[in-house]
Amino acid sequence: LPNEEFRQLAGGRVHVLRGGAGQPLLFLHAAGGAGTWLEFHQLLARGFEVIAPDHPGFGGSDDFPEAEAVDDLVFHYLDLMDELGLDRPHVVGASFGGWIAAELAVTAPHRIASLVLLSPAGLRLPDHPVADLFLMSPEQLVGTLYHDPAIAARAFPASPDLDFVLAQYRDLTALARFGWAPFLSNPKLERRLHRITVPTLVVAPSDDRLIPVAHARRYAELIPDARLTEIADCGHAMYFERPAEFAEVTAGFLNGASR
Amino acid sequence: MKFSFFHLMPYPYLPDDFDEKYPSSSLTFPNTYFDPKLGTQLYHRYLDELEYADQLGFDGIAVNEHHQTAYGLMPSPNIMAAALARRTEHAKIMVLGNAIGIRGNPLRVAEEIAMLDHLSGGRVVSGFVRGIGWEYFAHSISPSRSRDRFNEAHDLIVKAWTSEEMFQWISPNYEYRYVNLWPRPVQQPHPPIYIPGAGSTETMRFCAEHRYTYMSVYAPASVVRRWFDGYRKAADELGYVPEPEKIAFSVPIYVADTSARAHAEARPALEWLFRKGLKQTAQLHSPPGYMSLSSLRGVLSAGLKPFSQLSYEELLANGQAVVGSPDEVTGRLRELHEQLGGFGQLIGLFAIGPSTHEQVTRSAELFATEVMPALR
Repeated sequence: LPNEEFRQLAGGRVHVLRGGAGQPLLFLHAAGGAGTWLEFHQLLARGFEVIAPDHPGFGGSDDFPEAEAVDDLVFHYLDLMDELGLDRPHVVGASFGGWIAAELAVTAPHRIASLVLLSPAGLRLPDHPVADLFLMSPEQLVGTLYHDPAIAARAFPASPDLDFVLAQYRDLTALARFGWAPFLSNPKLERRLHRITVPTLVVAPSDDRLIPVAHARRYAELIPDARLTEIADCGHAMYFERPAEFAEVTAGFLNGASR
Repeated sequence: MKFSFFHLMPYPYLPDDFDEKYPSSSLTFPNTYFDPKLGTQLYHRYLDELEYADQLGFDGIAVNEHHQTAYGLMPSPNIMAAALARRTEHAKIMVLGNAIGIRGNPLRVAEEIAMLDHLSGGRVVSGFVRGIGWEYFAHSISPSRSRDRFNEAHDLIVKAWTSEEMFQWISPNYEYRYVNLWPRPVQQPHPPIYIPGAGSTETMRFCAEHRYTYMSVYAPASVVRRWFDGYRKAADELGYVPEPEKIAFSVPIYVADTSARAHAEARPALEWLFRKGLKQTAQLHSPPGYMSLSSLRGVLSAGLKPFSQLSYEELLANGQAVVGSPDEVTGRLRELHEQLGGFGQLIGLFAIGPSTHEQVTRSAELFATEVMPALR
């Protein structure tokens, strides 16, 4: 089981789960999944010290109301890395967390050992629009996130209680703060990606119905020497849907990159 | 008691397969269903109805703002108010209201309302609303900023109306280096402000602090009673009793010469309003951040039925609509007045969904000639 801790920053408390031993790996969660230690965390923790904070306004972290946009999140994570004494961790980010990870790597490439982006948000590609998750019912959202309907059916409680519904609403409220408009993107990010100088892997599930695979390909094209891995028959929520495969791809890359 | 004639200006011509095919009449309901020829006719018919209400002696005629929807065809309520200003004489022209939560430039609202005050000879009433959830999608404003934007825009507009000195305005969402309103409004210190509430205690306190008119919207009378009590309590805590006219009950009203005729004509109209016009998903109604967690907890715990699941009989029993002969409507409104702990303004939605022009004008006539005198 992971250690749970709260770290105090100037704007509030950050909820952090950490477990495992090895080189430090900072995991930045997607819009869903805050505050939970999942199978894939556990698998990565076999080879790395996995540090999984909740973003401002998500899970067990405070609201940090002064954080208004993704650039504030970059400085938030630089503060948290200082607080945790993380010098150059591997950074792994999924979806919304992938966007933050890419912005962090653009801003402070010297603070990162290597980068893994799983179906990252963050680019504005008008010809490949991201599906509007804010318009979807929970059932529609789960149906969009997973390739395998059987796994999707288990992913969301059949009759969620009030606290669960409120926690989901709070997470999405924070997402709306950072990603309502421009929609889950920073129009300036594309022209800044050349600044990422660390080894980078972009993982693209082939059946991503939330963020079209063109986004991952564009990231891989613009980040110098980035590697792109496309995963067949997998939905957007790969780290929930195929945890072992995601852990294996990630660990394999990081082990190679750090040698 | 003051009486107002409120118009939503609905577009009633929905396709036959609307119920099965579309999650809502708003946001993504295709505008191919909007027929421009019919649209032109509707605007002129609806403005005629509002002008007629002025002639009938209603104290107010009211319009409001909605975007990308068949529910109401007034993206700019100020344009409708301008069209009415020089063709009416007595009634207050009530804009209920401008959706200042989604306006990119709220100073424009201060300017337009000030102009309307002049065009109407000091008859304008300025309502402010946050805008419904789906309108935050429609105008690309994050609902997580809704309340801050509303509060900042309100403060800016009131200061712009009342300041006799140029000032700079800096708040998190807005920056103006030169605010120097031309024209200043006619009514001093500024046009009356109305705020529709939907149960938020923040809104009740806000209205009480500023002594604004608090207005109910669509809820069952048992719920509206709690809202009105909340407003009265907030005023009491500030050490005053609100004047009756500061509490406004709004409700769809349909009057016909006989009870049977009233119900036969009102039933399809009200069913359209609640099942089609107001049809929306939870995501359209309350996108993330639109409600505070405590308000959302309150709403979900209350276990209210969605509008679409309310039967016609329930709507009448709950006080969410008032239908009948003039005597019946008079009696029912007296009951509701009692049940709600009193109100000094009644804002009636007389043009309901697909009601015809003849139905709307006859209902308004019967109300003005038989119900209003009895209740005044």
